[in-house]
Amino acid sequence: MASMICSYLPELLCKFPAIDTNLMRVVRKTIDDSFKGFVRAYGNVIDTMVQPLQSFLNWLEALFVDSPWILVLIALALVVYLTSRNIKIVIGAVLSMMLIGLVGLWEDTMVTLAIVTVCTLISIVIGIPIGIVMARSNRVQSVVNPVLDVMQTMPSFVYLIPVVMIFGIGKVPGLIAVVIYAVPPIIRLTNLGIRLVDREVLEAADAFGSSARQKLVNVQIPLALPTIMAGINQTIMMSLAMVVVASMIGVGGLGRNVLQAINNQFFTIGFLNGFALVAIAIIFDRASQAYGKRLQKHTEVVHG
Amino acid sequence: MKKLLASTMLAAGLYAVAGSAQAAECGDVSIAEMNWASAGVAAHVDKIILESGYGCSVTLVTGDTMPTFASMNEKGQPDMAPELWVNAVRTPLDEAIAEGRLIQAAPLLSDGGVEGWWIPKFLADANPEIKTVQDALARPDLFPAPEDASKGAITNCPSGWNCQVSTANLFRALGAEEKGFELIDTGSAAGLDGSIANAFENQKGWLGYYWAPTSILGKYEMVKLSFGVEHDKAQWDACTAVPDCADPAVNAYPVSDVYTVVTKEFSEKAGVAMDYVSTRKWDNQTVGKVLAWMDENQGTNEDGARHFLQNYPEMWTSWVAPEVAEKIKAAL
Repeated sequence: MASMICSYLPELLCKFPAIDTNLMRVVRKTIDDSFKGFVRAYGNVIDTMVQPLQSFLNWLEALFVDSPWILVLIALALVVYLTSRNIKIVIGAVLSMMLIGLVGLWEDTMVTLAIVTVCTLISIVIGIPIGIVMARSNRVQSVVNPVLDVMQTMPSFVYLIPVVMIFGIGKVPGLIAVVIYAVPPIIRLTNLGIRLVDREVLEAADAFGSSARQKLVNVQIPLALPTIMAGINQTIMMSLAMVVVASMIGVGGLGRNVLQAINNQFFTIGFLNGFALVAIAIIFDRASQAYGKRLQKHTEVVHG
Repeated sequence: MKKLLASTMLAAGLYAVAGSAQAAECGDVSIAEMNWASAGVAAHVDKIILESGYGCSVTLVTGDTMPTFASMNEKGQPDMAPELWVNAVRTPLDEAIAEGRLIQAAPLLSDGGVEGWWIPKFLADANPEIKTVQDALARPDLFPAPEDASKGAITNCPSGWNCQVSTANLFRALGAEEKGFELIDTGSAAGLDGSIANAFENQKGWLGYYWAPTSILGKYEMVKLSFGVEHDKAQWDACTAVPDCADPAVNAYPVSDVYTVVTKEFSEKAGVAMDYVSTRKWDNQTVGKVLAWMDENQGTNEDGARHFLQNYPEMWTSWVAPEVAEKIKAAL
């Protein structure tokens, strides 16, 4: 029926005037070829540049996988306790790690833990400074925000392939893919946390003659810490969610098992590995949430 | 003028309704468009031929070997998988055929699918002494592993595919680990393709599993290495294709059977199209040419299918009755 209307309209308004397919083809080919040219020219340079990162990743993975499980478990329990100071969370974490070990997923879980740890650290190192800069300048914020939107919504497969062409397959390209996806929340929440610091507190700091730097380090960041912790928590969660996708370019661990299970319709294996990821996520989440709450307690100075 | 146009359109519409009454025996057909190039083109060729030649209304469903097969087997949807590598699903497929749920139509690739371990042609030219897999294994330095350049790498096929099992068993059978190699998991077909592209763009060595006909082999010239033995089917079924088999022996890959598989329901409702489905086959060389053309021109699967139908009429007209061929030519 709708096509009937077309007979009364000029063609231009009926069929969208798209750019000529041949021209589009030339454009696509040119862009593709120039990208390949770039890879050819700089592939080796880039390889050398990421070599230290590669070695560090290999070392950390070996450390997690080859250490006796009991040591890893104790270390994990300690970290969880120090951050959360909550014995319940520690017991829960140890129990769930035990369960993971019982179903034979200890090594895969260690591989995944290693990569998520590095991704989270890198995200924090990149994200917090960017968030701080964003909070201090409206212009920077208006530039960075659309970039973050792209990073969070661009389908990861789109940049997985170029990343593989440049870096090959393995942990480094996987890491890059995960960080692109996982770094925005920490940037956004750092920015937000600093911007939401009470204006009166800042006025008081000004009255005492703080420099901009003192204000940032001693007033804004401490007061924004709970929000920043929420950002870190979100970043960890996103890293874990992305691990499965990163497995598509040769990152091992739980993600690879999930992929294999999906391809073979092995529900049980899929769910076991999925739940192992969920368990890690919950451990991280509860520990970092509890840490954030504790920070909040410290920062809520009792008003007289 | 406009009125005339409108009435012509109306008449044409009525005529189309009348025309479709003759083709009512076909109806709605869903075809699996697998996520690799040759199968994607085949799906689009089928779509064009069934729609314009037989008056079916075709929907394409994105698919992959295992999920698509499971869905056809359990739910009878999609109706047809144009290019199914049956070795990957041999056991459940045999059951489904025996129980009458699925029908194995004609082999789509007349010379079958070729699988094996490949190295780049530039590497084979530079090292003419490498003819077999064993020769390659003597030189781990030529195939540096992506994460540890001190070791050689054999790139495995994507996680969860059947070839992952056979490649891992052959890796053990050849004692590759003792020779300083590790088996690299690529995770997905995209990862595997990416690793080959990366090796070619950086002129690095690459050794691993791949198969033909594929657009990658059209784009990047590779040489298939011999395993130095003939394919031993008994050994293959008993051990090479079995996960973690106890004592794998060196074996060569079989030529893969690549069939069109359709559901029982399809054969009943689209009887006219069954003749076409059970005669249609093309050879690797033609597929390779079409895929190379697609790569050259950044064509989609649909472009590839149209290119094939326009340029290889002597091949596809033999699949259908002359009057059907005329309809298809008119539609093109």
